[in-house]
Amino acid sequence: MKILKRDEAIVGVVIFLFGAITTFLSLKMPIGTLRMAGTGFFPLCLGILLMILSAAFVLKLLVQHKKDVIQKEVVAKTPGVIRQMGLFLGAMVLATLFFNELGYPLTSFLLMAALLWSLGMKRWVFNLLLSFITAGASYFLFVQWLKIPLPKGWIGL
Amino acid sequence: MLRKKILGLLVILTLLVSVPIQAAEFPTKEVQVIIPWAAGGATDLIFRALAPHAAKHLGKAVVIVNRPGGGSAVGYTEGAKAKADGYTLTSAVTPLTILPHQVTTAYTYKDFEPVINVVSDPSMFLIRSDMPWKNLREFVDFAKKNPNMITVGNSGAGGGVHLVALAFEKAAGVKFNHIPFSGGGPSVTAILGAHINAVSVSPPEGIEHVKAGKLKIIALFAEKRLEMFPDVLTVKEQGIDFAMGMWRGLIAPKGTPADAIKKLHDAFKLGMEDPAFQKTAKDMAVNLSYLGPEAFGKLMANDHEFFGKLVKEIKK
Amino acid sequence: MFESLQHLATGFTIAGTVQNLLYCLIGAIVGTLIGVLPGIGPIAGIALLIPATFSLNPTSAIIMLAGIYYGAMYGGSTTSILLNVPGETASVITCIDGYQMAQKGRAGPALAICAIGSFIAGTIGLFGLVFLAPPLAEAALAFGPPEYFSLMIFGFIVLSNVTGTSLLKALMMATVGLIIGTIGLDPVTGDARFVFGSTYLLGGIEFVAVAIGLFGIGEVLTNVHQPQELLDQRVTVPRFRDLYPSLQDLKKSIASILRGAGIGFGVGLVPGPAPVIATYSSYMIERKISKHPEEFGKGAIEGVAGPESANNSACQSAFIPLFVLGIPFAPPTAILLGALLIHGVSPGPLLISQHPGLFWGVIASMYIGNFILLILNLPFVPLFANILRIPKKILLPLVILFCITGMYTVNNSIPDIWVMLLFGALGFLMRKWAYEGAPLLLALVLGPRLEIAFRQSLMISHGDFGIFINRPISMVFLLATVLFLIIPLIRMTLKKQRKEGGL
Repeated sequence: MKILKRDEAIVGVVIFLFGAITTFLSLKMPIGTLRMAGTGFFPLCLGILLMILSAAFVLKLLVQHKKDVIQKEVVAKTPGVIRQMGLFLGAMVLATLFFNELGYPLTSFLLMAALLWSLGMKRWVFNLLLSFITAGASYFLFVQWLKIPLPKGWIGL
Repeated sequence: MLRKKILGLLVILTLLVSVPIQAAEFPTKEVQVIIPWAAGGATDLIFRALAPHAAKHLGKAVVIVNRPGGGSAVGYTEGAKAKADGYTLTSAVTPLTILPHQVTTAYTYKDFEPVINVVSDPSMFLIRSDMPWKNLREFVDFAKKNPNMITVGNSGAGGGVHLVALAFEKAAGVKFNHIPFSGGGPSVTAILGAHINAVSVSPPEGIEHVKAGKLKIIALFAEKRLEMFPDVLTVKEQGIDFAMGMWRGLIAPKGTPADAIKKLHDAFKLGMEDPAFQKTAKDMAVNLSYLGPEAFGKLMANDHEFFGKLVKEIKK
Repeated sequence: MFESLQHLATGFTIAGTVQNLLYCLIGAIVGTLIGVLPGIGPIAGIALLIPATFSLNPTSAIIMLAGIYYGAMYGGSTTSILLNVPGETASVITCIDGYQMAQKGRAGPALAICAIGSFIAGTIGLFGLVFLAPPLAEAALAFGPPEYFSLMIFGFIVLSNVTGTSLLKALMMATVGLIIGTIGLDPVTGDARFVFGSTYLLGGIEFVAVAIGLFGIGEVLTNVHQPQELLDQRVTVPRFRDLYPSLQDLKKSIASILRGAGIGFGVGLVPGPAPVIATYSSYMIERKISKHPEEFGKGAIEGVAGPESANNSACQSAFIPLFVLGIPFAPPTAILLGALLIHGVSPGPLLISQHPGLFWGVIASMYIGNFILLILNLPFVPLFANILRIPKKILLPLVILFCITGMYTVNNSIPDIWVMLLFGALGFLMRKWAYEGAPLLLALVLGPRLEIAFRQSLMISHGDFGIFINRPISMVFLLATVLFLIIPLIRMTLKKQRKEGGL
């Protein structure tokens, strides 16, 4: 898998912007002097450093004689994969949002089921059974046996 | 057909399992105590020693959680915002009433309910035994002649012992060079390595080393002498009218149910009275000083006012 | 010295009773289970189980705790190798080559060499502890703020490019890590930085969240980003003879193990994130010394053996400051301190002389814990390796479940999970564009300490920069850093001159 030079440069610029934002925000804080550094001193130096590094990186890319490298990453473009990623991430996000309300056993059950489904597990029964067993086993292991505190949710488990 | 049946069974099972279970009596799980400092400091050591004894009477484990940062701000902020169900206590130490006057904090002592006070210790300055100052007089004289030269470590900028050092400066009419560390542990390490001249601490920080002879108490900010080191004069006895110490107790978020507080209070009180703990405290040169919730609440309110004035004075 | 050996022998007899061995075993098993769950580490494990030790006498209690401690460490390595999820700080480096080995069907040898290497390092560490404890403690004390600063700078510059890919990219990631490390409260004045009014950010970004996110979740997402047919596959199906290290593997590793043990032991004395520095340093050295450096990053067994050994011996030597000075330098030792206090023993310079039975019993039990784990884990290696037979479709969701569960158990905080997911997405992107996560994590750990040390030093010296140069230890580290940066440049210039001169 090779990377387009153009993409590399874009990433470099994004990092540069991150450094710039850091610098900007740290100027709002007391800087102090080198001898008696204030709160914003360290972040300011870091922001500037990051800008320098990323600028050097981008410049190095531009100066290099090598042409664009051909990208072999065909896989990424298929819509199926993107939808898969989306569902997967979506499931994780939802699980986190409702983790406290639903409680650990229920959330882990639903999460497993959703993730399995997003990856193409079409066999419903197997999916739910597996999720149930996994959620149940981890509940018993971590909550009951090891007594690790995990959210209880409205079920009260 | 079979598939549908299995599916149905699973759904029923899940629903059955969802029947809410009756809420059991407090405590049904372990209780956390937030310590707003890094491990190894005075508060940390004392509550780590007390935790298991209290747990015995509570019936559930008492777990110590360190949340260092911002001179105790991080820990107290978290403690104040925790669920008021009695499972999250915070160790209340004098800085709780000091820090809000120095920086804008998201809390004050009023955001908490007092549970119990455990300890009340004087503060002190320690120096290495191989340092040239033989007594307080020499130390203070040197400081007068060399303002800002003696480095005094503390367990955190704006923290309890730091303020004690600042207040002592006013009382003695000198100026020190204060070096902040991330807790009592690192500050004692620094003086052992001779990287700073003196360190401001509160027992049991550094006590073991005084017992071993490596460090010595150059200034004791107490009303009366320590039991463990009866030859050490207090600062008052040597002509400077100054005494300041730390109290350490437990608090819960405001709104914690009264019966939870009572149960916690009783468990910790019994833990304090446990002879094994009393012996440990003695070994650590820690002075137990019990106060119930009401008295403790009053103490915090008084100190909050007192330090408000003191901080203003010092800032002048 | 012979006295020490005698004491040690006594310690072994105490620790070696059937009862105590049983406690150790229980502790080891529980510890392993805890360690396998990412996030929750030895600290939480020990803390949770301290109450269970009340009924035991001090020695037995601490033996069980030692078992838990080591078990958790071993468990952490397991998830690093199998799933690229670092169980705790020090396992990050193990992910790099360990995971690659697993991908190639060599999970078994990787797991086994971790156990073996850790055990050997533990033995060496034990001897070091026994014979060198007091002088070493004094050495640890010699590190004051200026020395820390120079050490951190050295570590930062030298270890950023630990994997050997682009130095520039590594430094960029390290700087990003440093910036993330400033979020929260200023360690010296207590003012808030980059907090945007959030209480969560006040406490800073949780390291574990970033580590699990970048490595674990990032890897999962990279895998999800694949067509479904690939997901039906298993990661690998290990052949039987690949389940254990070959003779060649062992030969290659033994030198790395010994070096790692030495490095770890020395680094472990310094207060602070010793295991992290130890593992990064060991990896770096192994890579530079190796006759085939291109293998690193693709599954070189030395890249697992060295760091794991370093990790273990660093943990051993971390106990020295605890026992000799009574000061815990790292959270796990703080817990141990608490355990000692509970049983009426205050650690300090007088501990060894006043309670020799306890001290040596604990030392012996630590070793026994090490041994038990070796015996416990080796048979389990095939079992663990076979986890990779599970089709990715099922394995990936399981990993996510465990990451989220584990993350929550660290601080009981949902925002931590969000951070983890965020860095998971970031990790995915970084992988895509060839940026390494290791420098970022290192910087996140070292950053705050670097800043504190810098400002403290200048406060002590009243602004005089000479303080960094006038002190020998500090000077040495700074010089080493400078040399490290200059030598490659000199070499390049000389090469160029030779080329031009030869024309």
